[in-house]
Amino acid sequence: MSVRTEPIIAITPKRISRRWILGGLLLSWIVLAQFLRGKATLELDNPDNSPFTTWAGEVADSIRDNRTDGAAFKFFFNPIREFIDGFVTLSRELIAIPSGSSSIPVLGWLGVISVIGFVVYAVSNIRMATAAVALTFACGALGLWTDSMDTLAMTFAAVILSLAIGIPVGIWAGLSDRVLKAVTPILDLAQILPTLVYLAPLALFFLIGPASATIATMVYSIPIAVRLTAFGIRGVPTSPVEASISMGTTKRQLLQKVQLPMSSRTIIMGVNQTVMAALSFVVIAALIGAPGLGKPVIDALIIRNVGEGFVAGIAVVLIAIMLDRSTSAAISSQDTFVPPSDADRKRRRIGLAIAGILAIVGIVLSRQLAWAAFFPKQIDISKQIASASDSSVKWVTENMEFLTAGLSKAVTVGVLNPLESVLANSPWYLTVVMITLMSLILGGIRSAIVSATLLGAIVATGLWYDTMITFTQTIVATLLTMVVGVIAGVWIGRNARAERALRPILDAGQTLPAFVYLIPMLGFFGPSRFTAIATGIVYSIPIVVKIVGQGIRDVPVNMIEAATSTGSTKWQLITKVQLPAAKKSLLLATNQGLIFVLAVVVIGGFVGAGGLGYLVLLGSSKPELQGKGLVAGFCILLLGVMIDRIAQYMVARNSAPKH
Amino acid sequence: MVRNKRVGAKASVLAAAAALLLSACGGAGVDAEASDAPAGDCGSYAIAMHAWVGYTASAQVVTEIAKANGCEISQVTLAEAGVTYDAMESGSVDLVIEDWGGGRWQEWADRGALVEVGENGNIGLIGMYVPQWMADEYPDITDSANLNKYADLFVTDESKGKGAWYEGPPGYTTIGEKMVSANGLNFTVISTGSEQALIDVFTKADADKTAAIGYFYEPQNFLAKVPLARIKFPANDWTDPEQASGLTDYPESPLIKLATPKVMDANDAFTKIVKNFSWTNADQNEVAADIESGTDPAVAAQKWIDAHKDIVDGWLK
Amino acid sequence: MSEVSSAISVNNLWQVFGPNPEKIVGSADASLPRAELREKTGNTAAVRDVSFDVAPGEVFVVMGLSGSGKSTLVRCLTRLIEPTSGSVVLNGEDIMKVSDARLRELRRTKFSMVFQNFGLLPHRKVIDNIAFALEVNGVSKEKRHARANEVIELVGLQGFAYAYPEQLSGGMQQRVGLARALAVNPDVMFLDEPFSALDPLIRRDMQTEVIRLHEELGKTMVFITHDLSEALKLGDRIAIMRDGAVVQMGTAEELIANPADAYVEDFTRDIPKSHVLTVRTIARPLADTETATGRTIPAETIIRDATAAVLDANGPVAVVANGNVIGYIKSRDILQVVGGGTEA
Ligand SMILES: Nc1ncnc2c1ncn2[C@@H]1O[C@H](COP(=O)(O)OP(=O)(O)OP(=O)(O)O)[C@@H](O)[C@H]1O
Ligand SMILES: [Mg+2]
Repeated sequence: MSVRTEPIIAITPKRISRRWILGGLLLSWIVLAQFLRGKATLELDNPDNSPFTTWAGEVADSIRDNRTDGAAFKFFFNPIREFIDGFVTLSRELIAIPSGSSSIPVLGWLGVISVIGFVVYAVSNIRMATAAVALTFACGALGLWTDSMDTLAMTFAAVILSLAIGIPVGIWAGLSDRVLKAVTPILDLAQILPTLVYLAPLALFFLIGPASATIATMVYSIPIAVRLTAFGIRGVPTSPVEASISMGTTKRQLLQKVQLPMSSRTIIMGVNQTVMAALSFVVIAALIGAPGLGKPVIDALIIRNVGEGFVAGIAVVLIAIMLDRSTSAAISSQDTFVPPSDADRKRRRIGLAIAGILAIVGIVLSRQLAWAAFFPKQIDISKQIASASDSSVKWVTENMEFLTAGLSKAVTVGVLNPLESVLANSPWYLTVVMITLMSLILGGIRSAIVSATLLGAIVATGLWYDTMITFTQTIVATLLTMVVGVIAGVWIGRNARAERALRPILDAGQTLPAFVYLIPMLGFFGPSRFTAIATGIVYSIPIVVKIVGQGIRDVPVNMIEAATSTGSTKWQLITKVQLPAAKKSLLLATNQGLIFVLAVVVIGGFVGAGGLGYLVLLGSSKPELQGKGLVAGFCILLLGVMIDRIAQYMVARNSAPKH
Repeated sequence: MVRNKRVGAKASVLAAAAALLLSACGGAGVDAEASDAPAGDCGSYAIAMHAWVGYTASAQVVTEIAKANGCEISQVTLAEAGVTYDAMESGSVDLVIEDWGGGRWQEWADRGALVEVGENGNIGLIGMYVPQWMADEYPDITDSANLNKYADLFVTDESKGKGAWYEGPPGYTTIGEKMVSANGLNFTVISTGSEQALIDVFTKADADKTAAIGYFYEPQNFLAKVPLARIKFPANDWTDPEQASGLTDYPESPLIKLATPKVMDANDAFTKIVKNFSWTNADQNEVAADIESGTDPAVAAQKWIDAHKDIVDGWLK
Repeated sequence: MSEVSSAISVNNLWQVFGPNPEKIVGSADASLPRAELREKTGNTAAVRDVSFDVAPGEVFVVMGLSGSGKSTLVRCLTRLIEPTSGSVVLNGEDIMKVSDARLRELRRTKFSMVFQNFGLLPHRKVIDNIAFALEVNGVSKEKRHARANEVIELVGLQGFAYAYPEQLSGGMQQRVGLARALAVNPDVMFLDEPFSALDPLIRRDMQTEVIRLHEELGKTMVFITHDLSEALKLGDRIAIMRDGAVVQMGTAEELIANPADAYVEDFTRDIPKSHVLTVRTIARPLADTETATGRTIPAETIIRDATAAVLDANGPVAVVANGNVIGYIKSRDILQVVGGGTEA
């Protein structure tokens, strides 16, 4: 990297002029948009196809026609699907659905709970095990035992398969620079790809059902396993590796005896992240026929049963907490390589033996006695929770309408409509030119080229107008997210107590499926673009707050001390020192916020937000529009890549050395 | 700790696995206790579940009857039409008890993925509706020719200065855009995404006496709770939504049952139920009303079955 | 060259890092200073044209400032880094030409390394660290543990066989490193600044330890350090590196008495010469005005040790080598070295 040699002073006038240019551009855009309003917007009515989407539909049809006889299906897709289906069925039969000729799964509820308690105890400690048992039991008490077990089984199957692929590939990428270089773009892409996008294409090849859902989950979680495994292998200190080579290890011995054991901590962290990723897919996977807790959530969304959706959402969160805490307990038990004393070990062995016996008793009981096999119906607090959440949403809807309606109206009229009229309702060429120019100024020539190319591709698909609708919503939601996120982030960054208090909420917010609060949002704001925006905001705030908070905390203490010693006020300290110093985190947070918002704004298609997400849904239901749906997914991808690239180039530009 | 703990853990896991295997081989004692279902000669099937409560009513009744006759039934929730047909092709769903698709499944039928079993007795009628109070206040609004006169009433922040026209969810048969453009209506089509969004719109419009025009259909128990008035367009001239000109109204259409060849070939109790199932809009509304008022669908279905033994017996013949 | 008489023989060894290393060796660019070479071609010549021989049982020390290429050199000798060109003959075998399998075998049995930051495996007990090379060579557990216990004793780590590295102090960890290198009973040991991460007191202990081990076991050693006093203490011969090339090679005395250039001299500046030089280096013919005292002193005597005798003599003392007088010294000569500092 070349070091900038110009003096610091020179930056200030330059930045001001950049700002002026941006402002001028914006102004001329707005003025031109007024004159050219409604011209060449390329708007395509929902029931209509563009030449490109027609073509995509034909391709999809020919794929469909090939399903029974095509060689690719016979020898590739179908065997894969059958294998995965078989694997999923196996793991479901273990805990969720009747196995073979029996009327119960291999493990009844008591058996499942015993096994979970035992396994968690074996990898961590008694406290974690108790918590895991309690959390699992709570899923039953929510009246969702079978669905919860289906989710657990699906997650388990997807995680096992993801790890079976992700860890070896990760190891390979950890060992070979060439492989790492080859997989990195794929990993990056997978990370910015909204999940809704690849459901339809996958279903085209692997049909609707658990196999597609599992593969979709794997697409989402394998990159995480690969990334962390490679990271772990690469993180092994060089000196033990070099020492081992100097003692004549083969590559295989080196891997087995040195690199793997020394990276086990990071790899287990990768397992943890993979599990969480797979779990976060539960709801969306239900759209292509995955069994489990996603089903009641989607049902509840469609018949807008706030309470039921909320209860199912809680169950998802409970399972998430259970899996997260027990896998991360397994990580911290790896903190040291030094084993405990003999006495501890003995105690531990006795504990394990007792736990093992208890587990076996539980298993046997759960297969012999009805009360231990079927989760007791008497224990069901779902009705209470559902009605409590129903009534609180109802209360807000009825009594806070002035607030919800006011908020919705203010954003819609004040921000959304004007922005939409500039982005979507002005001629496409104007928008393309303006976005390209802006990314030139913000991110440099490379980002301008990327923007122009991607925008050109979107125009070519014929879904320009809908893409701009989605883009508008994404921008508005991100702006609002950043406003709230930065305020909260600064707060927790400066206040350790606030951080501690907020962290569990942020964690839960990250695991709660967005669909769950899409339902009350619909109640608050009705079928509108703002509902999608509000959901996107809620979904992406936790990550933004976390990143900003971390950035603020990472500002060097001496910088703050220096500023304080010159008598800065708190406000000056925040605006003049902490925020500028945390600029890179702010950019990163914006980037993440955009990607997260985009992922949710597209599910706004369910609540009347229109745009690409709606086209995806439309395509999955209306055969004549399936091509359009697939292309809409592709446009979401292009949009995501464009947003990500511009942001990345901005980050790169702003983190170039300045000293 | 890691190593030795693992050894201990490994040993116990092995022991547990062994015990599991043993007790599994021994067969579950629960089965003996729990086999209260009559042992019929019936296979295992998956019924597609769709979002609207009327569908739930029909599907649940079929489910309960089939279960009582020894079939093993699972329910798979899916969006309507395309996705569901695909699911039938993949074998993950065996039955759609109420299809509104206007024959869009033909392509799948041609490939042998599914079979049209016939009508289910319900008559579906889709249309554009306004809350009853509007029909009372502006009596001529129910004539499509007069809609433009009132378009201003329907303007919202979402509707770009024209009237807001709430369209049905993506899976439903909808021709709203065509209607608007063919009739030169001064409205913007807003895709609601879900039926519940429509219900919200109408509930609110009814309660607050605000204006709203939106997609709705019968049979739907909601109409009994919130009175809506149907807008009349010129008489219908189409069945396949793709062919619709948009100038005319939605047709009245008998709803269809779709099943996989597996169901049709099995010739067991389920085949009979599927072939013979047929009931009226009133029947469906009865069960749907119970479900909507909070009764568990299975219980609501059972209540209807118990009250209509003769009809059910007829289906089983 | 007689392969038999040298344990290690290094000839024209080059190590160039960068985009096109092969093109540099032998080209006109090769003689450019390192910085210029990098500027011009993007390549770094970490080791340039190094040749030397090490006799069996000798301790050969390589010294130089940070970045002078010491580590790279020693890694080239065992092909941990593949040298760009040149030859390295160990016990008569050109290791540049051996197959991968043979190279592994050599590493497992013939030579071993000790590293600056120890390079211990944190997830293995001391004994398993020490037995690692035997383990990868397929030696049975019983045998390799027996051998490990032997070397544990040798380096004074009794009682710590079942500890984990992180439970040991730095000095003890490097003892494990030493033990590990000794476990395979190698012909040659390479030590890359083994003690620079340790604090001075422990460093001195460890140096004494290495001297003891060398005396007991007589291993050939290539010892890298940037600490001259360490080099003087341990080394039979010392090579001084600068910018990848060896600028001077010889015994401590030779280097201090006749530094090849200012760089070498700089190195030796802080060393009290009287502690290193023998009286031979300052012996001179008798001046006309002087008369010998008749006293004698052996030529190998370190100046410091000769001080008392010479001061006592009150006149020139004869320096004797092999029974012949090779010159004379007087108290003024001694005082010049001891007190006068650097001028020899
Ligand atoms: N893998 C590599 N790629 C490029 N250059 C390298 C590499 N390894 C070493 N170098 C360069 O080679 C030169 C010699 O490095 P080396 O580590 O051998 O020095 P050293 O004498 O051991 O220094 P120190 O006393 O700091 O350990 C340095 O300029 C270094 O930057
Ligand atoms: Mg070094």
